[in-house]
Amino acid sequence: MLPAGIFYVVFFAIPMLCLLGLSFWRAKGFELIPDFTLENYHKIFTSPLYRALMLRTIGVAFATALIVVPIAFAIAYIMRFVFERRGQLILQIILLSLFSGYLVRIYAWRTILGKQGLLNSTLQWLGIIEEPLEFLIYSNIAVVITLSGLLLPLAVLPLYSAMLNVSRDYIEAARDLGAGKLHTLRTVLVPMVIPGLRTAFAFAFLLSAGDFVTPALVGGSQSMLIGNIIADQFRGIGSNWPLGAGMAFVVVAVMLLAYLSVMRLIRWATRW
Amino acid sequence: MWRTIVDDRLKIFLDAKLNADVSRRRFLQGAAGLSTLTVLGAGTQAHAADGKLGGELNFLGWDGEHGGNVAKPFLEANNIKMNASFQSAADEALTRLNTGGRGAMDILTPNKDFQSAILKAGTELFQPLDLGRIPTASGLFPAFKDAPWLVRDGKTYGIPIIWGDEPCVYNPKKWDAMPAKYTDFADPKFKGELVLLDDPFGNIWLWATSLEMPEPSRLTAAQLEQVLEAMLKVKPNVVTIGASHGDMADVLVRGDASIGVGGWAYQVMIAKEKGVELVVGSPSVDGTFYWSDAYAIAVDAPNLDNAYGFIDFMTKPESNAALAAELASGCTVEAAYALMPEDIRSMFPYDNVRKPGGGILGTQIVVPPQEPDGDIVGAPSWVEAWQTFKAS
Repeated sequence: MLPAGIFYVVFFAIPMLCLLGLSFWRAKGFELIPDFTLENYHKIFTSPLYRALMLRTIGVAFATALIVVPIAFAIAYIMRFVFERRGQLILQIILLSLFSGYLVRIYAWRTILGKQGLLNSTLQWLGIIEEPLEFLIYSNIAVVITLSGLLLPLAVLPLYSAMLNVSRDYIEAARDLGAGKLHTLRTVLVPMVIPGLRTAFAFAFLLSAGDFVTPALVGGSQSMLIGNIIADQFRGIGSNWPLGAGMAFVVVAVMLLAYLSVMRLIRWATRW
Repeated sequence: MWRTIVDDRLKIFLDAKLNADVSRRRFLQGAAGLSTLTVLGAGTQAHAADGKLGGELNFLGWDGEHGGNVAKPFLEANNIKMNASFQSAADEALTRLNTGGRGAMDILTPNKDFQSAILKAGTELFQPLDLGRIPTASGLFPAFKDAPWLVRDGKTYGIPIIWGDEPCVYNPKKWDAMPAKYTDFADPKFKGELVLLDDPFGNIWLWATSLEMPEPSRLTAAQLEQVLEAMLKVKPNVVTIGASHGDMADVLVRGDASIGVGGWAYQVMIAKEKGVELVVGSPSVDGTFYWSDAYAIAVDAPNLDNAYGFIDFMTKPESNAALAAELASGCTVEAAYALMPEDIRSMFPYDNVRKPGGGILGTQIVVPPQEPDGDIVGAPSWVEAWQTFKAS
């Protein structure tokens, strides 16, 4: 545990503390001025712009997680209980998708969802639509679809891992005792894979909330998220590192709160 | 210059990895042979290196401006090992200087407005140049000799290497010409046709110019609000905001938009490689703005002789033409003009740089003051206005 602890302190705790300290500084021109001011946090909490973006970010992150987690759960279930022998093969295929670069995959989605992209072209060719569906690209929908595609493999892994620890006997015992499929799922399987669900949700929700590249590339003119604003604070003329640091901490706090709320909800739901 | 203010972190990734078919890097690879051949004609000895050359040279600047191909003969002839790293934002050199990088950087490539802002603020980053050690600088176009944005207290802090403008780039099959003013882009006929660059200063400056603000780079809060309102009228017509010029080109090539505002003539060449025709043309009344990047030497540069030798070599007509051609930009050395490939040379209005005193480059200030100056708002307010525009 000691090496892991040292790693955690050096590469996570200390940088985070530095960032926290920076959030109380001030920026003047090109200089950072050490201080202890709450000015940055005041600005973050009173700005309608930041509030609106925070809500939009939570919405997009939730939507992504709500798509990703059930699909990942279904895939993991199929790998574990339906095609048990082929589970490892399917896992390798899923892992293979992670070998392509993150940006490459975003661009692939742009190719699929674009005005003249694969999806629109196919639908037009089939005669289902006459004009391209413009909402498919450069919109919040495009961001959610792309993030879902990017994060799905990451969400499958913890769920599959958790399900490997669930003996088929439990499922069969529940069914023998008269539990329906859904009832078995809700009262037996889900409670036993809660750690996997928690991790899968965390991957989908937290990574979506922190992403700023996907909205920049497929989000269009009205889909900027809070991550884009934070990134703006750390680059170029007019940047404001202390404000960006403050925003980052507020985002971490809000997202953790949202995450813990969902975890509580899942625990509550699986009691019934 | 302006293409470099935006999020070039993305640009570097995109150009290098994603837009392989439409990237500057790919274009550079194609041009590399030509560049090398061209530079082989130039002498590889630095004229003005008083000191001994050899050892290391640390470069921190925009990708490509280190002259990977162009500088090779000079570096090899003088046994210099270049350690090149590339910045992702205009202020990265300053960040590095302030976080332990002092004494570890030699050559920097600031853009015009960043360098101007740094010099005005009196912030320590660049050291004054001894022009006696860069005799080739005497061959610069009149606009670049003693360019006002590179001079403070009579001392020169940079040698311009490339320049250009940021015009509109559009699909001629859809549009015969650009409207007269940027505010005209609010017309509903442009719905779903526009892609803007993620550049707060360039865009706000263009719209402030379009609104005929007396000093477009010095706006009061009320004027900035007025500009934002005008920009928001255009917003419904904007498909997306390009993360970089490469990204903008990709959007145009894919046909997701047909007009790029604040574009780069180089995008025309990118599109041509992909079999798509794009042309350049700015609003006739409002025009556009100009940028330039320069070689500068960092304070406490550890390899000063090599730095001077490098700049002197890169300012030779052959080197300058080769670099400008590689980067599809305007050359800054007068004798390099004749050496430039015609297709790239014709992209830029050279009449501007033949005028002494910096020409339009010298008088045109695009970036606002860093800090509020009386009623005039500072750069952070522009950034916030731009964020409001993007988020709306």
